[in-house]
Amino acid sequence: MEERLFSLVLALLATDSGLTKNEILSTVQGYSQKYSHSGDNSNLERQFERDKDDIRELGVPLETIDSPGQAGNNQNLRYRIPRGAYELPADIAFSPEETALLNLAAMVWREGSISGESRRAIIKLRSLGVETTEPVLTYAPRVRVRDAAFEPLGISLEKRQYVRFAYLKPGDAEASVRTVAPLALVQHQGRWHLYADENGTNKTFLLRRIVSQVAALAKTFPAPPADTKDRALLELEDVWNRNTAIVEVEPGTDAATRLRRRRGSSVAASGALELHYSDTNIFADELASFGPEALVISPPDLRDAVRTRLERSAADHG
Amino acid sequence: MAERAKPRQAQDKLAFLLSLVPYLMDHDRVSVATAAKHFGVPQEQVREAVRLIGVSGIPGDTAAYQHGDLFDIAWDDFEENDEIVITNLVAIDDSPRFSAREAAALIAGLQYLSALPENADREAIATLTAKLSRGASAEPSQVAVEASETDDTLALARESVTKGVQLSFDYLNSQGQAERRRVDPLRVESVDADWYLRGWDHLREAVRTFRLDRISNPEVTAEPITHGATDVSLPDKLFEGSVDDLIVTIDIAPSAAPLLADYIPDNAETVEHDGRLRTTVRVSHYHGLKRLVASMPGVATVVGPPEARAVVAEWAAAGAARYR
Repeated sequence: MEERLFSLVLALLATDSGLTKNEILSTVQGYSQKYSHSGDNSNLERQFERDKDDIRELGVPLETIDSPGQAGNNQNLRYRIPRGAYELPADIAFSPEETALLNLAAMVWREGSISGESRRAIIKLRSLGVETTEPVLTYAPRVRVRDAAFEPLGISLEKRQYVRFAYLKPGDAEASVRTVAPLALVQHQGRWHLYADENGTNKTFLLRRIVSQVAALAKTFPAPPADTKDRALLELEDVWNRNTAIVEVEPGTDAATRLRRRRGSSVAASGALELHYSDTNIFADELASFGPEALVISPPDLRDAVRTRLERSAADHG
Repeated sequence: MAERAKPRQAQDKLAFLLSLVPYLMDHDRVSVATAAKHFGVPQEQVREAVRLIGVSGIPGDTAAYQHGDLFDIAWDDFEENDEIVITNLVAIDDSPRFSAREAAALIAGLQYLSALPENADREAIATLTAKLSRGASAEPSQVAVEASETDDTLALARESVTKGVQLSFDYLNSQGQAERRRVDPLRVESVDADWYLRGWDHLREAVRTFRLDRISNPEVTAEPITHGATDVSLPDKLFEGSVDDLIVTIDIAPSAAPLLADYIPDNAETVEHDGRLRTTVRVSHYHGLKRLVASMPGVATVVGPPEARAVVAEWAAAGAARYR
């Protein structure tokens, strides 16, 4: 299969004026052996359609142009891979230190299709022949992509398709069906979020609260601005900054050490810790794990949420 | 599944072919072993790729794949000396661009790693990100990971490795006891927002894993290390089982099961029970278990042994009592 894909890429790179589908199927290795000059080639045509998708997914810019004087005639569309859009620009080079950093960055992804993408990116990087420097301290970083919604949302994000899914808001008894334009996938505080447009308003959804399969719709939307993912992170950061909790911790305990070292933590005048958080329910789970070592003073909803959790755990194990 | 996996493999192989050609162009003569090591692939994969490249090409003016339209290699050098010399080139001049998703994966990975002392130069990261974006065939996908916080402990761990000396720090074990530990740092690991240091622990005389946010007052000592990263083979799992581990039976909501994956032994039997999964977890002591279970209220319940249930119940009740 890779033989056919490789031959197709070579043939389309070598042509300036492009090749018609018929020319490709009748001459390019891997197709031509199966091509019938008189009969039906619909199987081969479907094969070609799949191959185009596979090649494009690798970042190969396979484009179509109209045959001269035959604009709009689909049968005579010509296919080619323009060299300038295919090749890495000549002025882009990576130093051994940069290459080492990129190797580490790729190591972060070890699950799902994103791990395949980072692996292929590294293969392409190595084609430049740069040797890497070994980091002094060895690292094994990992970001998980365990939410089932991650893969389908990633695909729809890329294809700019609307999606539909059932979303369970905490406190609601039932999930509600949401139809949104997926704009970005961002991880904040260890959790994946979808940043999406719902009826003209940008909203953030926690992936772990998507309780149905994600259905991709036929309807598409225009590309969002390049900095959308940064805006999504900034909005999450704003929420995080706005949510402030006052928590008393028992000195010398695990809660005291870890909560004091939590990002953005500070000591209030009372001696209690002032902490920031994104989501009441998720933070309440975290605080409940500390049992009697931490006592939430405010806000009331967080205080109630932690108390309810502890009472539930005590009852479940009583 | 198999149908999805097949094109993936073919795509990986195609990416390798398109990357190997420019590498070989830049190296007049290179051994299969050198090329395999450089790309981090088995030697046989390189040989297979070279054999394929050697018979590939373009249809050419005659549409007949004539000799000059094909790549050629010095076959004798290849077959006899395991060396690669390309003698005729077609179609490919340079390395391929990254795809939008490939570039995005690396950019998001870099962003996540911003806490590493190696990444102290933020400007260098910005330059690298810009290069990746420019080197992609389309605008990188909208995927991002929050930058991690720079942590002093990491810089000190790096310093101690550079100097070949031990790192010491106060560490609160999950039973709540503080100890001064002396460690030969071996590897820094992370899972999402949590960071860990794995090292040879001189107090326990064994490899141990330390949560960075439980470490306080870290210090680079003058004591030389006795174990380097190459001397110790670290198991893949962050938390290894030991023969002293306690086995606990637990009921968990299926959606939350992945959260416990690290604690469930590979051979654990899992059965469905009233819409929940009943399985076993291994813990070194109940004090760690109570914290874990208390963070999953209503989602995870300890079934037995009774001592384990009692430890969790007592922990949660003591916590709840503080609100009365």
